Amino acid sequence: MSDVAHDEVIETHHEEHESTGIENRKLGMWVFLSSEFLFFGALISNYLLYSNRGGFEGIYPAEIYDIPFTSVSSFVLLMSSLTMVLAHNALSRNDQNGTRTWLFATAALGSIFLGGQVFEFYEFITASDMTLSTNPAASAFYVLTGFHGTHVALGVIMLLSLWGISRRQSGLSEKQGLNLELVGLYWHFVDIIWIVIFTVVYLLSVPPA
Amino acid sequence: MTSEHHSHPTPGQYWKIAAFLAVITAIEVAMYYIDRELGLGFLNAGILITLSAVKFLTVVGWFMHVRFERPMISRFFTAGFVLACALYLVVLSALGVIVVRG
Repeated sequence: MSDVAHDEVIETHHEEHESTGIENRKLGMWVFLSSEFLFFGALISNYLLYSNRGGFEGIYPAEIYDIPFTSVSSFVLLMSSLTMVLAHNALSRNDQNGTRTWLFATAALGSIFLGGQVFEFYEFITASDMTLSTNPAASAFYVLTGFHGTHVALGVIMLLSLWGISRRQSGLSEKQGLNLELVGLYWHFVDIIWIVIFTVVYLLSVPPA
Repeated sequence: MTSEHHSHPTPGQYWKIAAFLAVITAIEVAMYYIDRELGLGFLNAGILITLSAVKFLTVVGWFMHVRFERPMISRFFTAGFVLACALYLVVLSALGVIVVRG
Protein backbone atom coordinates (compact mmCIF):
# COMPACT_ATOMS: atom_id res chain seq x y z
CA MET A 1 0.00 0.00 0.00
CA SER A 2 1.39 3.43 -0.92
CA ASP A 3 1.86 6.11 1.75
CA VAL A 4 -0.98 8.18 0.31
CA ALA A 5 -3.38 5.23 0.33
CA HIS A 6 -2.25 4.32 3.84
CA ASP A 7 -2.93 7.88 5.03
CA GLU A 8 -6.39 7.77 3.44
CA VAL A 9 -7.18 4.57 5.33
CA ILE A 10 -6.06 6.18 8.60
CA GLU A 11 -8.12 9.28 7.78
CA THR A 12 -11.16 7.11 7.16
CA HIS A 13 -10.71 5.32 10.47
CA HIS A 14 -10.50 8.66 12.30
CA GLU A 15 -13.84 9.91 10.98
CA GLU A 16 -16.45 9.95 13.68
CA HIS A 17 -19.86 8.46 13.01
CA GLU A 18 -22.42 10.24 15.15
CA SER A 19 -25.79 8.58 14.69
CA THR A 20 -27.16 10.79 17.49
CA GLY A 21 -26.27 14.03 15.72
CA ILE A 22 -24.25 15.10 18.76
CA GLU A 23 -20.45 15.05 18.87
CA ASN A 24 -19.32 11.90 20.68
CA ARG A 25 -17.08 13.77 23.12
CA LYS A 26 -19.86 16.16 23.95
CA LEU A 27 -22.33 13.35 24.54
CA GLY A 28 -19.70 11.64 26.68
CA MET A 29 -19.34 14.79 28.79
CA TRP A 30 -23.10 14.98 29.35
CA VAL A 31 -23.21 11.32 30.40
CA PHE A 32 -20.23 11.90 32.74
CA LEU A 33 -21.90 14.95 34.31
CA SER A 34 -25.14 13.02 34.67
CA SER A 35 -23.29 10.29 36.57
CA GLU A 36 -21.68 12.90 38.81
CA PHE A 37 -25.10 13.60 40.32
CA LEU A 38 -24.89 10.19 41.99
CA PHE A 39 -21.43 10.99 43.35
CA PHE A 40 -22.37 14.35 44.85
CA GLY A 41 -25.77 13.01 45.89
CA ALA A 42 -24.02 10.42 48.06
CA LEU A 43 -21.83 13.05 49.73
CA ILE A 44 -24.74 15.46 50.33
CA SER A 45 -26.83 12.61 51.76
CA ASN A 46 -23.93 11.65 54.02
CA TYR A 47 -23.80 15.22 55.31
CA LEU A 48 -27.58 15.33 55.88
CA LEU A 49 -27.34 12.06 57.78
CA TYR A 50 -24.88 13.42 60.34
CA SER A 51 -25.28 17.21 60.29
CA ASN A 52 -27.88 17.42 63.07
CA ARG A 53 -27.59 14.00 64.65
CA GLY A 54 -26.74 14.56 68.29
CA GLY A 55 -24.48 12.49 70.51
CA PHE A 56 -21.12 13.32 68.98
CA GLU A 57 -18.44 15.29 70.75
CA GLY A 58 -16.95 18.48 69.34
CA ILE A 59 -18.33 21.37 67.38
CA TYR A 60 -20.77 20.93 64.48
CA PRO A 61 -20.25 22.70 61.14
CA ALA A 62 -23.63 24.48 61.30
CA GLU A 63 -22.58 26.16 64.55
CA ILE A 64 -19.69 28.02 62.94
CA TYR A 65 -20.77 28.80 59.37
CA ASP A 66 -19.95 32.33 58.26
CA ILE A 67 -22.97 32.92 56.00
CA PRO A 68 -21.98 36.42 54.76
CA PHE A 69 -18.56 35.10 53.72
CA THR A 70 -19.96 32.00 52.02
CA SER A 71 -22.62 34.12 50.30
CA VAL A 72 -19.89 36.22 48.68
CA SER A 73 -18.03 33.04 47.63
CA SER A 74 -21.25 31.68 46.12
CA PHE A 75 -21.79 34.93 44.25
CA VAL A 76 -18.23 34.77 42.88
CA LEU A 77 -18.73 31.21 41.61
CA LEU A 78 -22.11 32.13 40.12
CA MET A 79 -20.54 35.04 38.23
CA SER A 80 -17.80 32.73 36.95
CA SER A 81 -20.55 30.90 35.06
CA LEU A 82 -21.37 34.21 33.38
CA THR A 83 -17.75 34.80 32.33
CA MET A 84 -17.54 31.18 31.10
CA VAL A 85 -20.56 31.54 28.87
CA LEU A 86 -19.23 34.90 27.62
CA ALA A 87 -15.97 33.13 26.65
CA HIS A 88 -17.98 30.57 24.70
CA ASN A 89 -20.03 33.31 23.09
CA ALA A 90 -16.90 35.26 22.12
CA LEU A 91 -15.40 32.19 20.46
CA SER A 92 -18.60 31.56 18.48
CA ARG A 93 -18.10 35.11 17.07
CA ASN A 94 -14.41 34.28 16.46
CA ASP A 95 -13.42 37.00 18.92
CA GLN A 96 -10.20 35.35 20.10
CA ASN A 97 -9.11 38.23 22.35
CA GLY A 98 -12.49 38.27 24.04
CA THR A 99 -12.35 34.49 24.50
CA ARG A 100 -8.97 34.74 26.23
CA THR A 101 -10.13 37.58 28.46
CA TRP A 102 -13.26 35.77 29.63
CA LEU A 103 -11.41 32.47 30.05
CA PHE A 104 -8.88 34.18 32.28
CA ALA A 105 -11.65 35.96 34.21
CA THR A 106 -13.38 32.61 34.81
CA ALA A 107 -10.14 31.02 36.06
CA ALA A 108 -9.52 34.05 38.30
CA LEU A 109 -13.02 33.90 39.81
CA GLY A 110 -12.63 30.15 40.34
CA SER A 111 -9.32 30.77 42.09
CA ILE A 112 -10.94 33.40 44.34
CA PHE A 113 -13.62 30.87 45.26
CA LEU A 114 -10.91 28.29 46.05
CA GLY A 115 -9.01 30.83 48.12
CA GLY A 116 -12.18 31.48 50.08
CA GLN A 117 -12.64 27.79 50.70
CA VAL A 118 -9.06 27.39 51.92
CA PHE A 119 -9.57 30.39 54.24
CA GLU A 120 -12.84 28.90 55.52
CA PHE A 121 -11.18 25.54 56.24
CA TYR A 122 -8.25 27.30 57.93
CA GLU A 123 -10.59 29.32 60.15
CA PHE A 124 -12.64 26.25 61.09
CA ILE A 125 -9.51 24.28 62.00
CA THR A 126 -7.56 26.97 63.85
CA ALA A 127 -10.27 29.16 65.41
CA SER A 128 -12.97 26.56 66.06
CA ASP A 129 -10.85 23.41 66.36
CA MET A 130 -13.10 21.52 63.92
CA THR A 131 -10.93 19.05 62.02
CA LEU A 132 -11.70 16.18 59.67
CA SER A 133 -11.77 13.78 62.63
CA THR A 134 -13.71 15.92 65.14
CA ASN A 135 -16.99 14.08 64.51
CA PRO A 136 -18.89 12.48 61.58
CA ALA A 137 -20.67 15.78 60.77
CA ALA A 138 -17.35 17.60 60.42
CA SER A 139 -15.94 14.74 58.30
CA ALA A 140 -18.99 14.80 56.04
CA PHE A 141 -18.69 18.58 55.64
CA TYR A 142 -14.99 18.55 54.77
CA VAL A 143 -15.31 15.61 52.37
CA LEU A 144 -18.29 17.15 50.53
CA THR A 145 -16.96 20.70 50.20
CA GLY A 146 -13.39 19.48 49.68
CA PHE A 147 -14.51 17.18 46.88
CA HIS A 148 -16.37 20.05 45.26
CA GLY A 149 -13.29 22.27 45.69
CA THR A 150 -11.19 19.61 43.96
CA HIS A 151 -13.59 19.78 41.01
CA VAL A 152 -13.22 23.57 40.93
CA ALA A 153 -9.41 23.25 41.05
CA LEU A 154 -9.47 20.82 38.09
CA GLY A 155 -11.71 23.26 36.24
CA VAL A 156 -9.29 26.13 36.87
CA ILE A 157 -6.41 24.00 35.52
CA MET A 158 -8.41 23.18 32.36
CA LEU A 159 -9.38 26.85 31.90
CA LEU A 160 -5.80 28.04 32.27
CA SER A 161 -4.65 25.33 29.85
CA LEU A 162 -7.10 26.57 27.22
CA TRP A 163 -6.05 30.14 27.91
CA GLY A 164 -2.37 29.19 27.50
CA ILE A 165 -3.05 27.31 24.27
CA SER A 166 -5.01 30.26 22.91
CA ARG A 167 -2.18 32.67 23.78
CA ARG A 168 0.48 30.44 22.24
CA GLN A 169 -1.44 29.81 19.02
CA SER A 170 -3.02 33.27 18.83
CA GLY A 171 -6.46 31.73 19.08
CA LEU A 172 -8.38 28.49 19.39
CA SER A 173 -9.14 26.34 16.34
CA GLU A 174 -12.57 24.89 15.63
CA LYS A 175 -11.56 21.57 17.18
CA GLN A 176 -10.28 23.34 20.28
CA GLY A 177 -13.57 25.24 20.36
CA LEU A 178 -15.27 21.98 21.26
CA ASN A 179 -12.77 21.61 24.11
CA LEU A 180 -13.84 25.02 25.36
CA GLU A 181 -17.49 23.98 25.18
CA LEU A 182 -16.75 20.78 27.15
CA VAL A 183 -14.80 22.67 29.82
CA GLY A 184 -17.68 25.14 29.95
CA LEU A 185 -20.20 22.36 30.56
CA TYR A 186 -18.00 20.99 33.35
CA TRP A 187 -17.65 24.45 34.87
CA HIS A 188 -21.40 25.15 34.85
CA PHE A 189 -21.99 21.74 36.41
CA VAL A 190 -19.61 22.59 39.26
CA ASP A 191 -21.62 25.79 39.69
CA ILE A 192 -25.03 24.05 39.87
CA ILE A 193 -23.66 21.57 42.41
CA TRP A 194 -22.58 24.53 44.55
CA ILE A 195 -26.08 26.05 44.19
CA VAL A 196 -27.41 22.89 45.86
CA ILE A 197 -24.63 22.74 48.48
CA PHE A 198 -25.07 26.41 49.41
CA THR A 199 -28.78 25.93 50.07
CA VAL A 200 -28.80 22.47 51.63
CA VAL A 201 -25.53 22.54 53.57
CA TYR A 202 -25.18 26.21 54.54
CA LEU A 203 -28.61 27.87 54.56
CA LEU A 204 -30.84 25.00 55.69
CA SER A 205 -28.48 23.19 58.03
CA VAL A 206 -29.14 23.42 61.77
CA PRO A 207 -27.00 21.96 64.54
CA PRO A 208 -28.56 19.43 66.93
CA ALA A 209 -30.69 20.98 69.67
CA MET B 1 -18.33 26.18 15.71
CA THR B 2 -20.41 23.68 17.61
CA SER B 3 -23.70 21.90 17.23
CA GLU B 4 -25.98 24.86 17.73
CA HIS B 5 -29.45 24.44 16.40
CA HIS B 6 -31.10 27.64 17.61
CA SER B 7 -29.80 31.16 18.04
CA HIS B 8 -28.13 31.48 21.42
CA PRO B 9 -28.65 34.46 23.74
CA THR B 10 -26.61 37.61 23.20
CA PRO B 11 -23.96 38.77 25.73
CA GLY B 12 -26.46 41.38 26.94
CA GLN B 13 -29.01 38.66 27.68
CA TYR B 14 -26.36 36.65 29.56
CA TRP B 15 -25.67 39.66 31.78
CA LYS B 16 -29.39 39.99 32.51
CA ILE B 17 -29.59 36.29 33.42
CA ALA B 18 -26.58 36.70 35.74
CA ALA B 19 -28.27 39.70 37.40
CA PHE B 20 -31.40 37.60 37.89
CA LEU B 21 -29.29 34.84 39.52
CA ALA B 22 -27.56 37.40 41.77
CA VAL B 23 -30.93 38.77 42.91
CA ILE B 24 -32.16 35.26 43.77
CA THR B 25 -28.96 34.61 45.74
CA ALA B 26 -29.54 37.84 47.67
CA ILE B 27 -33.13 36.76 48.44
CA GLU B 28 -31.84 33.37 49.63
CA VAL B 29 -29.43 35.01 52.06
CA ALA B 30 -32.16 37.40 53.22
CA MET B 31 -34.46 34.41 53.84
CA TYR B 32 -31.77 32.84 56.03
CA TYR B 33 -31.78 35.89 58.32
CA ILE B 34 -35.56 36.32 58.21
CA ASP B 35 -35.92 32.70 59.32
CA ARG B 36 -33.53 33.29 62.22
CA GLU B 37 -35.72 36.17 63.40
CA LEU B 38 -39.17 34.75 62.71
CA GLY B 39 -38.59 30.97 62.79
CA LEU B 40 -40.47 30.17 59.58
CA GLY B 41 -39.45 26.50 59.67
CA PHE B 42 -40.85 24.46 56.78
CA LEU B 43 -41.98 27.59 54.93
CA ASN B 44 -38.38 28.83 54.87
CA ALA B 45 -37.17 25.42 53.67
CA GLY B 46 -39.78 25.40 50.91
CA ILE B 47 -38.89 28.90 49.74
CA LEU B 48 -35.13 28.23 49.80
CA ILE B 49 -35.45 24.95 47.91
CA THR B 50 -37.70 26.61 45.32
CA LEU B 51 -35.24 29.51 44.84
CA SER B 52 -32.37 27.04 44.56
CA ALA B 53 -34.30 25.05 41.94
CA VAL B 54 -34.93 28.23 39.93
CA LYS B 55 -31.19 29.05 39.96
CA PHE B 56 -30.30 25.46 39.06
CA LEU B 57 -32.70 25.36 36.11
CA THR B 58 -31.65 28.81 34.90
CA VAL B 59 -27.96 27.83 34.77
CA VAL B 60 -28.74 24.48 33.12
CA GLY B 61 -31.17 25.96 30.61
CA TRP B 62 -29.35 29.15 29.62
CA PHE B 63 -25.67 28.82 30.51
CA MET B 64 -25.41 25.10 29.68
CA HIS B 65 -27.63 25.72 26.64
CA VAL B 66 -29.92 22.77 27.31
CA ARG B 67 -32.82 24.88 26.02
CA PHE B 68 -31.10 25.06 22.63
CA GLU B 69 -29.73 21.53 22.39
CA ARG B 70 -31.21 18.29 21.09
CA PRO B 71 -33.76 16.67 23.46
CA MET B 72 -31.46 13.67 23.95
CA ILE B 73 -29.08 15.78 26.03
CA SER B 74 -31.73 17.01 28.41
CA ARG B 75 -33.06 13.44 28.71
CA PHE B 76 -29.61 12.14 29.73
CA PHE B 77 -29.13 14.96 32.20
CA THR B 78 -32.63 14.74 33.66
CA ALA B 79 -32.35 10.96 33.98
CA GLY B 80 -29.14 11.25 36.02
CA PHE B 81 -30.59 13.97 38.24
CA VAL B 82 -33.94 12.25 38.84
CA LEU B 83 -32.28 8.89 39.50
CA ALA B 84 -29.89 10.44 42.02
CA CYS B 85 -32.70 12.36 43.77
CA ALA B 86 -34.96 9.29 43.91
CA LEU B 87 -32.17 7.04 45.18
CA TYR B 88 -31.05 9.35 47.95
CA LEU B 89 -34.59 10.32 48.98
CA VAL B 90 -35.26 6.62 49.53
CA VAL B 91 -31.97 6.18 51.41
CA LEU B 92 -32.54 9.25 53.62
CA SER B 93 -36.13 8.19 54.29
CA ALA B 94 -34.99 4.70 55.25
CA LEU B 95 -32.41 6.18 57.63
CA GLY B 96 -34.97 8.50 59.21
CA VAL B 97 -33.42 11.76 58.01
CA ILE B 98 -36.53 12.57 55.96
CA VAL B 99 -39.76 11.61 57.67
CA VAL B 100 -42.58 10.58 55.35
CA ARG B 101 -46.00 10.77 57.02
CA GLY B 102 -48.67 8.42 55.68
